[in-house]
Order: sequence, then structure tokens, then C-alpha cells
Amino acid sequence: MVPTAAQQTIRFTLNGKPVEARILPHHNLVEMLQDFGLFGARESCGQGLCGCCTVLVNGNAVSGCLYLAAFIDGADVVTVEHLASAGTLSPVQEAFLETGAFQCGFCTPGFVLMVHQLLDRNPEPTEEDIRHYLSGNLCRCASYREIIQAVRSAAEKRKSCATG
Amino acid sequence: MMPFEIAEPRSLREAIGLLGRDDPSVRPIAGGTALMLMMKAGVFRPTRLVSLRSIEPAFARTTLGAEGELRIGALASLSSLEHSQAVLNGAPVIAKALRTLSNVRVRNVATVGGHLAHADPHMDLPPVLIALGARVSVLGPSCDRLIPVENLFAGYYETVLARDELIAELIVPPQGGRRAAYLKCTTRSADDWPALGVAVALDTDGTAVHEARIVISAATHKPTRPVAAEAILRDGISDAVLRRAGAAAAEEAGVISDTHGSAAYKRQLVRVYVERAVRAALAIPTGKQRRA
Repeated sequence: MVPTAAQQTIRFTLNGKPVEARILPHHNLVEMLQDFGLFGARESCGQGLCGCCTVLVNGNAVSGCLYLAAFIDGADVVTVEHLASAGTLSPVQEAFLETGAFQCGFCTPGFVLMVHQLLDRNPEPTEEDIRHYLSGNLCRCASYREIIQAVRSAAEKRKSCATG
Repeated sequence: MMPFEIAEPRSLREAIGLLGRDDPSVRPIAGGTALMLMMKAGVFRPTRLVSLRSIEPAFARTTLGAEGELRIGALASLSSLEHSQAVLNGAPVIAKALRTLSNVRVRNVATVGGHLAHADPHMDLPPVLIALGARVSVLGPSCDRLIPVENLFAGYYETVLARDELIAELIVPPQGGRRAAYLKCTTRSADDWPALGVAVALDTDGTAVHEARIVISAATHKPTRPVAAEAILRDGISDAVLRRAGAAAAEEAGVISDTHGSAAYKRQLVRVYVERAVRAALAIPTGKQRRA
């Protein structure tokens, strides 16, 4: 027998604002974000391998496609849409644009969020550090060379923001 | 995925009460990264999940005792262990193995208890923990028990745990001067599931070996110790002994064919990787290795 799932209400912080959502227990985080009109996190491989569904939960990157929406109750959630919410692109976003670190752009939101995480934790990563940290993000257009350049450029931009 | 209910107990004891012994469609969930894959694939169709995320925070703590014993709460995330000073001091091979376990996002969410209870033979920590002589403390409705990680796995995706038993804590004994290493071989891409994992832990004095543990994983139904190869290592470390140990391990490990490679291919991997893992543990360079 298929159980009938009861809707439940969860409350959390979404991109800086307190929100409420009616969810079903078997829905994942990506599905729930779509109800808020947020499509930056997108399910691609569906297995946590490709990074297209990256979302920050309580300051940590997670795969939204492997994360139950129910587990978001009480959490602080940040999506790629938040990065430019003040009207200007983040240094990481600028670096991706200037370097041309994408072709189709499908994987870009995930890469951008992961690079934010990387540079928050390690402001001056080596190429080895960059490759290691981003090994769980796939770009099927293979813009990897430009992405690594973008990370370096973003690190420089953030350094000059911090000192200037 | 099929609809299901989620229960949110506030304590581990309460969670155990909610699990019950008889219904296979009621299961615990912690990080959920592995269970989500099974549910999405339709391999597992729960009616109810018992979430462990709101239980006592003590079960997510990691401490290093004065004697060097590492106690890791089952709810500790893999990334918390990767960056834990206690783990780096008590058993650095664990932190090193975690660096190449899946990816940053999965490590941020997956827990060590779930990693062990899932019993996927391709997982990286079981062979490492078996080599280090680790145990898990397991709580159940009527009695609690300590199980060596070596005895935890009953087979492919199977543990010896009852449906209403939960891993509470992982205990890694003091390692003293023990030398350990974990190497894995992925055959499709660097971040793929391994075709083979090899963990070794050696108590040595110069080239003499008092105690040797080798654990083969991923290529086998469950993590397996090739005891004849371990015995060969106790002859003392030399090039000839390492070659004999690798050959013995390949012979006795019981490797299986799957999408990661044929059994014949994986036997050859075992032969090569056992030798490499021992060299890595003892920091003996080979011509082919850029660094030990």
C-alpha cells in the first residue's frame, strides 16, 4: 500500500529572509526551491556527482538533489540568486564572466557557489587545491581551464577588495 | 520518489523505539546521501524514515582521550572528521582517506554512522577502520554491545545489526607508533567509486614487523583481511616479501567482477596495491612513486 504523505510546514531563512514552506516529506531541496521561483540550483545527474544542484545550508555546500526538504526546517539556506541580490555581481561571478568560464552555463551556478566556499575557507588556493575542491563539479562543455583561471582571478579580486 | 513519513525523535533511545524489529520499510536516516540514491532508484521504498538529525548533539562529537583513544559520535559528518584536530592527531590516515571520499558536498552531509551502517563495500572508511582495530558501540532496545568494525559487515550492503539497533559511537584505539595507509584505485574517473581499496596498518621496529593488518575492500563483497598475506609481512620487510604478500593477497581475497573491472583485472590490482600500500605506510619510495 502506498502511504499517503501528509504535508508539513517548515520555517527557515532563505537568502536572508525568514520564509515558510508547505512540503511533502519525500520532496528534495531543489524541488522545494522551485516553488520559490529559484531555478539556479538544478538537478542534473541526480546523484550528487555533478554539483549543478549546489545550495549552501547553514554555511556548508550540499547537493540539493540528495537533501530532503524536510531537513531544511530551521536552517539558513543560500542559493546562487543571493550572490547578486544587492545589484552587483560578486567577485567570483565577475571573474567567471571576464574569463569566459562557461559555455552553456548549466553548471555555472554550482561552480560559482563552490568557488565562494573554497575562497572563504582558503583565500589563496593552489591549482592543486582548486582541482581537488572542484572535483565534484562537472562541466560537460569542459571549460575547466577557464574555470581554474576564474578561481585565480576571483581570489585576486577578493584580496584587493579586502585590502583596498 | 514514493511518498513516506518522517519521524523526528529527540533522543537515540526514542529513535530505537520508533524503528521496531519487524518492518523493513521503516529505516533510520542521518545525512541521507546514500539512502536518497536508493530511494530515487526505487531500490528502497520506505513507508517511514526515522530521522536521527535531532537526537542529542553529543552523538556528533569527536574527542581524543589522553591515551590516544579516538571517540567519534555516529552523527559526526565526514567533513567534520576530515578537519578534526583530534582525528589528525589520533589517526591521520582517516583524515587522509576522507580527502578523496566522494566530494565536498557529500562529506558535508554524510555521517560516519550512516557510512558504516550502509555497508556498501565500495566505501572508503570501513577498510581503514578495520586496519586500525576500531569498534562501534551499538545501542538496541534491550542491550547495548561493542562490535569490532571487522565483524560489522555480513555481506554486500548487509550488516549484523538488527533493524532496531543503531550505531552510537565509533571507537578507534590508541595507535601509538603504528604506521597506516589507505590507497584506492578508481578505473573510470578519479572521483569514481573505487574498483579496489587497500588499507594497511603495521606495528614495526626497523624492518621487523610485529603485527600487520591488510584490508581489501570494493573488489570484494565486504571488507576482507587476507591473513596469509599478513603473515608473510611478519617475515620482515623486503622487496621479495612485499611481492609475496601482494601475490598471496590476490590469491586469497575473493575478488568479484563488476562494472569496475573483471575479477582477473582486480586480482592484478590487489597484487600491485598491497605492495604499494605497505610502501606508503612505511614511506618506502619506489621508482614509480613520485612521493611515498
